[in-house]
Amino acid sequence: MSRVENVGAEKEVGKEKKHGGHGKMGRHGGRGHKKSSESLKPGSLAYIWHSISHNKGAVMGMVLIVLIVLLSILSPYLCRWGYAELDVLNAKSGPSLTHLLGCDELGRDLLSRVLYGARYTLYIGLAGTALSVVIGVTLGAIAGYFGGLVDSCVMRFLDVFQAFPQLILAMAFCAVFGSGLNNCVAALGLTGIAGFARLMRANILRIRDMEYIEASVSINCPTRKIITGHIIPNAVSPIIVEIAMSISRNGLASSSLSFLGLGVRPPYPEWGAMLAGARNYIRDCPHMVIVPGVFIVICVLSFNLIGDALRDALDPKLKK
Amino acid sequence: MSEENKKKELLEVKNLNVRYKSGQATVYAVNGISLELEKGQTLGLVGETGAGKTTIAKSILRILPDYAIETLEGEIYYEGKDILKLSDKELQNLRGHEISMIFQDPMTALNPVKTVSSQIAEGYRKHHGCPRAEANRKAVEMLEMVGIPGERADEYPHQFSGGMKQRVVIAMAMACSPKLLIADEPTTALDVTIQAQVLDLIKNVKEEIGTAMLLITHDLGVVAEVCDKVCVIYAGRIVESGSKEDIFDKPSHPYTRGLFAALPDLDKDVERLTPIEGLLPDPTVREDGCAFRSRCPHACHACREFDNELRELAPGHYTRCWRGLQDRED
Amino acid sequence: MIRYVVKRLVILIPTLLVVAIIMFTLMDFVPGDPAVIALGSGNHTQEEIELKRESMGLNKPYITRLGEYLGNLIFHFDFGTSIVDGTQIKTAISDRFPNTLKIALGSILVTIIVGLPLGVRTAVRANTWEDKISLFITLLLDCMPSFWVGLLLVLLFALKLGWLPSSGVGGLKYFVLPVIANSLGGLAGFTRQTRASMLEVIRSDLVTTARSKGLSEREVIYGHALPNALIPIITIVGMRFGQMLGGATIIEVIFSIPGLGPYLVNGIGSQDYTVVTGGIIFIAFSFAIIMLLTDLVYAFVDPRIKAQYVARNRKGGRKDE
Repeated sequence: MSRVENVGAEKEVGKEKKHGGHGKMGRHGGRGHKKSSESLKPGSLAYIWHSISHNKGAVMGMVLIVLIVLLSILSPYLCRWGYAELDVLNAKSGPSLTHLLGCDELGRDLLSRVLYGARYTLYIGLAGTALSVVIGVTLGAIAGYFGGLVDSCVMRFLDVFQAFPQLILAMAFCAVFGSGLNNCVAALGLTGIAGFARLMRANILRIRDMEYIEASVSINCPTRKIITGHIIPNAVSPIIVEIAMSISRNGLASSSLSFLGLGVRPPYPEWGAMLAGARNYIRDCPHMVIVPGVFIVICVLSFNLIGDALRDALDPKLKK
Repeated sequence: MSEENKKKELLEVKNLNVRYKSGQATVYAVNGISLELEKGQTLGLVGETGAGKTTIAKSILRILPDYAIETLEGEIYYEGKDILKLSDKELQNLRGHEISMIFQDPMTALNPVKTVSSQIAEGYRKHHGCPRAEANRKAVEMLEMVGIPGERADEYPHQFSGGMKQRVVIAMAMACSPKLLIADEPTTALDVTIQAQVLDLIKNVKEEIGTAMLLITHDLGVVAEVCDKVCVIYAGRIVESGSKEDIFDKPSHPYTRGLFAALPDLDKDVERLTPIEGLLPDPTVREDGCAFRSRCPHACHACREFDNELRELAPGHYTRCWRGLQDRED
Repeated sequence: MIRYVVKRLVILIPTLLVVAIIMFTLMDFVPGDPAVIALGSGNHTQEEIELKRESMGLNKPYITRLGEYLGNLIFHFDFGTSIVDGTQIKTAISDRFPNTLKIALGSILVTIIVGLPLGVRTAVRANTWEDKISLFITLLLDCMPSFWVGLLLVLLFALKLGWLPSSGVGGLKYFVLPVIANSLGGLAGFTRQTRASMLEVIRSDLVTTARSKGLSEREVIYGHALPNALIPIITIVGMRFGQMLGGATIIEVIFSIPGLGPYLVNGIGSQDYTVVTGGIIFIAFSFAIIMLLTDLVYAFVDPRIKAQYVARNRKGGRKDE
């Protein structure tokens, strides 16, 4: 079962011109021909920006997110109706000039509610992800760097997290913490730890054996400095992609939890909570069901598009 | 290259052009390659990584990746038929049966979820329409021919070492006794100690079956050992072609000479080898004149005006340099 | 192969034990006195509460209660009784789980039956209009919350067209909408993953080798590329199945199907902590079994993993000679 493992370097040979583009172009950049994405060094900020800004999906995603953020911040000033204001006469009315997206069962303006509700989704998405990243990346880095017993302990701990389907784990945490905005953040944040920790650990294992780490160790560089100065910067790109994906996942999950009455509760206009309320009026006022859902899709889609574009930008090898 | 010649040649490539798309840019991989190969002969394609050798080889079998190809033009005659104009069905009858290929990297060329014998038998069965048992017998026979004991036939590729895998690939390529074998850097991915074994094996098998061979390599030592004719490729063009003796004894093109100068020579006691300075030109840019001039020690502004036509130095010995250097000056 | 199963079980059992311990402990710290919850609404004297605590065994130390709980769980597969209505949790789960499993199984079947061929086809025809349309639709579906899809399906097929029932259980037709709602998102993701996995193999050297042997495009795709692409896909199927088991809970709430979902959600709502603990531990068990099966199939299909264990067995055999 002996294996000759000297393929790595030679492997590139077979690619000949096929991949001639990416690797070598950096050196030819100075030739003064038109600046294509190939002429930028992969991994440089300029390259990543070039790649993302030339990706239609990503641009659309970024524009949508900026729009959603601006609208949700400005909604109290832009909308004629407050998100909790009752217009009883127009209760359950469909879209009209007075209420662009119609009203809910109590006569609250749906447009101002969904725009305001974006705050919850964005907040839960971002804060939950931040929590997962901080704890997960730390755990993963520790496990990956120290290995051995520490690694085994952390991994067994993560196994417990991953013994549940994600939604069920989030429900379990919600059951413990109770409902409410910050409890929902905590539940989703904890649920996401395992994913980030595993990703980080895999990264560290990949990087740990690289020669520049050996070099740092050989000149007595302190452990802390090796981790913060060498390993983390190199392990960061898959994490960035995963962050975008995690925000969109948390957006979906928060609406699911709120829909079940475990996350943000009515009367707050969280999109999932709005759908839970609208469910009873589905027959007569379908717009109440359609509007919040469309906003969930737009929000989740935007982060997914950005995540996809980041993946392409950070890992040129995967590019079609 | 005339009509009557066509019957004699087993393979004749005429003015082959291949372009890849790479993002927005176009990669000019192969630029007007023409070559001929007679029955039983061995032609070596020599050049550095990225010169377009593998692309030429894959064009002949038409197994270039569809998604990356921008244009594939020219004519490739195999026994008088233009391969580029064949239907899928005719092409499949040709591949593996008449023309087969040994790949550079045996680690990735084999299918990890199938036993080696089934991978060898598959092609044989396809082309001979024989029962499974007979094809399997043939597979074992082929394995033994390349020096792998028959009882290992039902093992999976991961159970073999690199050199053994390459033997499997060779057995696979030779199973249908093809008339033309394309060997794409068959020894590059292997340990130096195994390279010689595998090369000998290819030579022996080739002689046994009487196959013509197109050998792609960047190793002049391999060329010296195996080839009858040599084409030196630079930036997708043939810069010099001729018999092995022409190229080894009277290299003319500065690039060919550079290749020899970069070889260690035991007869001479030199402190350092003479590498060819610089890199291949950017394949996404098409410039007039000689592609080698930025690295050529003899370059002058006439090279910029160079028409890129081959010059015949002696019968069968061509060079793509306007100087047409005749004598060695080292 | 048996060695592999044993090895996986050895890892699985402690994980499940820890899951049970953690769930029990977490629920123990949930605010609210179970005795008060058990007594129901209304005012209760301190005495009544104390009596109830005594009868529920809540006065025993935490460790004793944990031990008893685990003992019952392991030896009798008993999750105790609901604190709200005193019913057996085991019976409730065995009544309800078949519904959840039906939805999850139906969803994964739909996912495989539709997603696998679609993923393979779009990979083979990458960058054609067909592929682009599929990518666009799957991208959109992937972003839709399943419960919203469920509501839209009810709106269209149950309320507007009246083709299918909007809630409850009964014949096969009652499961059509729940299964579609539960599978669409996962189906979309699965299709994209299949496409990516297939595309990677199609562009690899082994496919070029297969083509160079003169095999037809069909033989190359289905004989060589697909078996290789399937290996990662098997793991993905397992993950998706688990995800659909979780997703079934929310779908059951929408379609008023008496499965584990409403049981859990009501349990959380009424602070019925024994029900929540039992339900979640049970789902973790089923999830673990699904992942175990996936790993076994994986090991069986991939000769590289299979060989590790077969080879070891063979070595064992040689020693006897």
